[in-house]
Amino acid sequence: MKLSTFITEDRTKAAVLFNSKKRLFEYISELTHQVAPNITAQECIDALMQREKLGSTGIGNGIAIPHGRLEGIDETIAFLIVNEKPIPFDAIDDKPVDIFLALMVPEAQCQEHLKTLANIAQKLKDKHYCKQLRHAQTNAALFQIINQD
Amino acid sequence: MQCQAHYTIINKLGLHARAASQLASLALKFDAKVTLTQDDKSAEADSVLALMLLESSQGKEVLVQCEGPDAEQALIAIGQLIEAKFNEGE
Repeated sequence: MKLSTFITEDRTKAAVLFNSKKRLFEYISELTHQVAPNITAQECIDALMQREKLGSTGIGNGIAIPHGRLEGIDETIAFLIVNEKPIPFDAIDDKPVDIFLALMVPEAQCQEHLKTLANIAQKLKDKHYCKQLRHAQTNAALFQIINQD
Repeated sequence: MQCQAHYTIINKLGLHARAASQLASLALKFDAKVTLTQDDKSAEADSVLALMLLESSQGKEVLVQCEGPDAEQALIAIGQLIEAKFNEGE
């Protein structure tokens, strides 16, 4: 399954430059607010930070899947964000992170969420795929990678 | 040293990202190769991505296999984590 099945082109951001987890989360929250105006950026950032408190979503190899549960959305809102340089993220392997797959998940969803995670894992396990993501210089180029199979 | 056991995933959210991360961190602490198998899918326990691919949801049975000097301790610790519902307050 292609990542473009649930990440649209306007939710694909290449070569952004943020220096910290906090700045990145502010960006994700602003993007979420634009997609779902009923969710405030503050609600979103709170959800992300709350999840991060339970343990970093940095899953190793420079990849993180920051996510939060939100009331008031019907389906998962996902963003693929690639940062110009890796930033500290307390990841499981202590490596800094530059690929972020952010997920805002409806409060009550369990089974469907596991399916989404498995689809993401399937793709991001591929080192060559990740390398391509890191090299994309424009949003369009980044989207093209996740839209091909 | 080799040992294995079956466990049922009992936490509500299944082997989602945080549970998988906890399991991987735990597996990394032992000098043992830990593999989880569910139906026809297998995953090395030190990879969060691989674990998430199992799509283990509540009620699924997984086979945990450990091999190496710390196999037994690893198996016990992982079994405890699963049975403690990954320490998630539900």
